Amino acid sequence: MTMSATSMQTPRSMELGTRVGTVGDPGTRLLAGPRSAEGAEDIDQHLSRLGPLGLADQSPAELRSVIAESGLQGRGGGQFPIASKLDLAARSAGTPLIVVNGSEGEPASRKDRTLLSLRPHLVLDGAMVAAASVGSREVVLYLHRSRADATGAVERAIAERFGDPAHVRVIDAPMRYVAGETRAVVSYLEGSGALPRKRSIPVAASGVAGRPTVVNNVETIAHLGLIARFGPAWFHEAGDARTPGSTLITIAGEVAWPLTVAEVVIPTTVGDALRSIDPTMRQPRAVLVGGYEGTWISGDVAMATPLSRGSLKACGASLGCGLIAVLGPGSCGLKTTARIVRWLAGESAGQCGPCVFGLPAIAEVLERVSDGTADRGDVRRLRLLTASVHGRGGCGHPTGVVGLVDSALDTFGPELGRHLRGRPCGIEASGFPLPLGAAP
Amino acid sequence: MTTDRPAWRIEVDGTACDGHGICMLCCPSRIGLDEWGYAIVSDEPITNDHILAQARRAVRACPANALRVSALRTSPAGTIRSVRRDA
Repeated sequence: MTMSATSMQTPRSMELGTRVGTVGDPGTRLLAGPRSAEGAEDIDQHLSRLGPLGLADQSPAELRSVIAESGLQGRGGGQFPIASKLDLAARSAGTPLIVVNGSEGEPASRKDRTLLSLRPHLVLDGAMVAAASVGSREVVLYLHRSRADATGAVERAIAERFGDPAHVRVIDAPMRYVAGETRAVVSYLEGSGALPRKRSIPVAASGVAGRPTVVNNVETIAHLGLIARFGPAWFHEAGDARTPGSTLITIAGEVAWPLTVAEVVIPTTVGDALRSIDPTMRQPRAVLVGGYEGTWISGDVAMATPLSRGSLKACGASLGCGLIAVLGPGSCGLKTTARIVRWLAGESAGQCGPCVFGLPAIAEVLERVSDGTADRGDVRRLRLLTASVHGRGGCGHPTGVVGLVDSALDTFGPELGRHLRGRPCGIEASGFPLPLGAAP
Repeated sequence: MTTDRPAWRIEVDGTACDGHGICMLCCPSRIGLDEWGYAIVSDEPITNDHILAQARRAVRACPANALRVSALRTSPAGTIRSVRRDA
């Protein structure tokens, strides 16, 4: 790194002393700085806190090697190394396009819009690092204009900046679950529907109108704004070898402060993360990890489980979009899952048979299980349906839904037995928001 | 140990498949239909000429142009090294 020690504005204050922190807490990285009540950090605050970005003295190849050394992985769910996408884009024909994906279609996730609302300049800095690393002069911010806090903050921030290497355009994303999928984003930017269409080559090689297109979510991009300042070694001071750096999570469900965004350092445990916002929290019945297409983990197991890749994988889970949603001890996981699955079925892009027909069929049986009107044969049918849909279709949506359903059947075994004997518990968990679904 | 047997695999584009079901008639050993009539293809490599001919017939017969047969190149250890497109 060519960053001089004097321009590195007190990186020590950004060391993660604690394993979990929320906005403005000492020890945080992305969420360091003013507390959330102060709103978006403006350009003066941002520059006096972090110092200048200093891109001019580095070649694209140097920047890419800094990013590669950081080992930064996508924080949108795929955990793909961002350096690989940038390298592929730099090698491919055409001027690359940088897309910052702020659509955050996960109904209970808040981390990306929190960053856009409170730290817009850090996100824009990261976008400039990505653009400069591949010689791109064009950045697209793909977000929902209806989320006025985030859009307003980022548009004010764009107006405050000058001397950036790339121009930023804000594009309003369609309000659909699958609209944030990388190929759907590219398809929308090409002027057709936001659908995950089949593509034979990665969009980083050939995306929007054949241009190399690097799509990353807001959190991933924001990390670049710090990596370019403080370097890969600093980035590695937090996290474990497989997931370097800090990670944003959203804590939802039956907790004292639902929809709280926290910054954690892997391998902190689910329990530590939850107790950081609610020290008196009782052991939950279960925790949904990774998003609405994530995995239910029984409460006793989840609380002690580190959020590292390996530990989550042992539970059949992955951190996904960083959602940790709590089902309280008195709530029904089957009923909660049935409601989520019905909504997800309506969010199908409608392109593939197994998704269009399979997901509503799964939702229907799950609803009868939840009502206490299903029998053992229905559960066998549910297992057959999930097996038949798994791995099919043009995107990960149907496979994600059946993963949720299978983990619910595994985790809520005792409840399932009571439901099949006609004794449903009937208590749906709170704090699992679902937007009004688009018409299927 | 180093004999690279040519192997092939059928792929279906889920966004194109319309559930006509003709593929299953052409290549029943590797293609099935789900309960709504959409193709489910086996990912077991095809090493038999007769089945390969059936698979290619299924590709040609699909009214939605949703199928493809790809060549798999296997390493000595039997793991797939690269995929080449065909038909």
